[in-house]
Amino acid sequence: MIRKPKALLGIVALAAAMVAVPGVQAQGLKHYDSSKKSFWEHPPADWFLGDETAAQKGLAPKAPPATGVPLDEIQATLKTIKLPKGFHISVWAHDVPSARQMAWGDKGTLFVGAFGVGNVYAITGPEGNKQVKVILKGLKMPTGIAFRDGALYVADIDKILKYADAEANLDHMPAAQVVYDDMPSYTSHGWKYLVFDKHGWLYVPFGPPFNEGIPPTSVSQIRRVDPATGLAEIRALGVRNSVGGDVDPRTGDYWFSENARDWLSDNTPSDKLNHISRMGEHFGYPYCHQGNIPDPKFAMGHKCSEFTPPVLNLGAHVAPLGMKFYTGKMFPKKYRNNIFLAEHGSWNRHVYQGARIMRIVVDPKGRHAKQYVFASGWLKGKQDFHGRPADVIVAPDGALLIADDWANAIYRISYGM
Amino acid sequence: MNTALAAAALSTAAAALAADPAAGKAKFEPCLACHGSGAAPQGEVAPLLAAQPDNFVQWQLVYFRTETRKDPAMTPISQQLNNADIRNIGAYLSSLPPPKLAQGKDEQPDLTEAGEQLAIANHCASCHLDGFVGRDAIPRLAGQREAYLLKALRDFKSGARRGGGVAAMPDAVYPLSDDGLQALAHYLSRLR
Repeated sequence: MIRKPKALLGIVALAAAMVAVPGVQAQGLKHYDSSKKSFWEHPPADWFLGDETAAQKGLAPKAPPATGVPLDEIQATLKTIKLPKGFHISVWAHDVPSARQMAWGDKGTLFVGAFGVGNVYAITGPEGNKQVKVILKGLKMPTGIAFRDGALYVADIDKILKYADAEANLDHMPAAQVVYDDMPSYTSHGWKYLVFDKHGWLYVPFGPPFNEGIPPTSVSQIRRVDPATGLAEIRALGVRNSVGGDVDPRTGDYWFSENARDWLSDNTPSDKLNHISRMGEHFGYPYCHQGNIPDPKFAMGHKCSEFTPPVLNLGAHVAPLGMKFYTGKMFPKKYRNNIFLAEHGSWNRHVYQGARIMRIVVDPKGRHAKQYVFASGWLKGKQDFHGRPADVIVAPDGALLIADDWANAIYRISYGM
Repeated sequence: MNTALAAAALSTAAAALAADPAAGKAKFEPCLACHGSGAAPQGEVAPLLAAQPDNFVQWQLVYFRTETRKDPAMTPISQQLNNADIRNIGAYLSSLPPPKLAQGKDEQPDLTEAGEQLAIANHCASCHLDGFVGRDAIPRLAGQREAYLLKALRDFKSGARRGGGVAAMPDAVYPLSDDGLQALAHYLSRLR
């Protein structure tokens, strides 16, 4: 136990006794009252703490360097990045604070969302001389962005904003139009990732505002939203924190990465890659983790067999974020329709893992999944980040771009000459 | 020295190479008027900054510079600093020994006790660490000026100060009463 004041010992003993008595376990479960407005404006203060053991104390999300990483240090790190033979990595743009999801405009502008600083960027200019412009600021964790038919879409925590004709107005963005706002206002696991399908509907994740608990019924799900009409439907249930996904070019199905719960142990549960094969599937949270671990407290009698298992367990605390199917032509043929996935790297683990780009080969139904490390080397030693990949996107020429919100940079991985 | 400590020392050394504490000291010279050298603060509620973690100092300057954190004195000052200045100031302040304000006998031991209980119940040390020495972007609290601690807690409570992307402070203090904030500030300021 880490907390040992005499006054609290009695409470701890009582809680332990309650768990030991069959039939009254439910009383021992942590309870969140989401019936009042204050819950949605001020999520539980223990949203990423509260369940840690003495051995886990001190594990906390690492803050990135406030001013990013100087360009010469980024260049030095890139020299140490391991890639398959024939691939090359270079800095495509830098000084992009907190860079998260990327989206291409019609005319070659790369739009980039951000985590902490509230900015959205537009990156323009010739290769080798990219200019980074702050086009929006003061938003609430605008990690999730998307672009379609000339318009930029930005998730501002509790609403999705549309900026019409954005690419023609980078110096003075038009007023935002709210296209969807049936969304909670908390920021804890409230940051988003936006993916258009071919019908022009957006896939939007809704994470629970805590680590592990019975979520309010309107969250822990993935919705599909039509920004033209504001109509929405629930596509997936039982999802914890998902901030990455893509539509399969082979089938139109949505696949997504998911960050599993914390504080269970260094080696469990595994983070996941999931595939929605039919509407309304339940992926297990909070009852079951990684397809085969019933939650020690919150399983509440459920069996893992009731839920859709992951396509692939990615590893514990690797933090899978942005992902894309590879649809370019630059890379060798075997990479076609593979998934590239950015692992942001651990915090809830004594020896970090992740901070790399994975390549996943899987058939359209989610069978025969295999993963390979594609690009690694940003994590040195046990906990020393030199960069943290947060998103990937395929460039028009078939190269792969990587957003890094630790170094504040965008990298380009190319193949051949 | 175990391997973890050796690795930590190495990474600190690597970080130190990129920044120049001597240049940071020169840049910090005008700041002494309010922040003092550690032993003798001058301003009304300006915090003591000696031994604050490097990345905490840097993030606060970036927040001031981008007006994410607003302060009539700090906003214009921070907007004259470039990235190198900010890295150098962080390196300088984090290299100083912790402040040691002169303290008399604790006139409010009940308040100290209440503050300690609140700190335990709210898991403060999970991030600020045992001894409240801070690390990374999380500030040292031990021995900070009581008036400043109370101002910071009240600013988080009122929403005047937000913190970083996943920073928990506004959510952590939300359920606490002002009496609770006063107890925490008193307890933490007396820690050595």
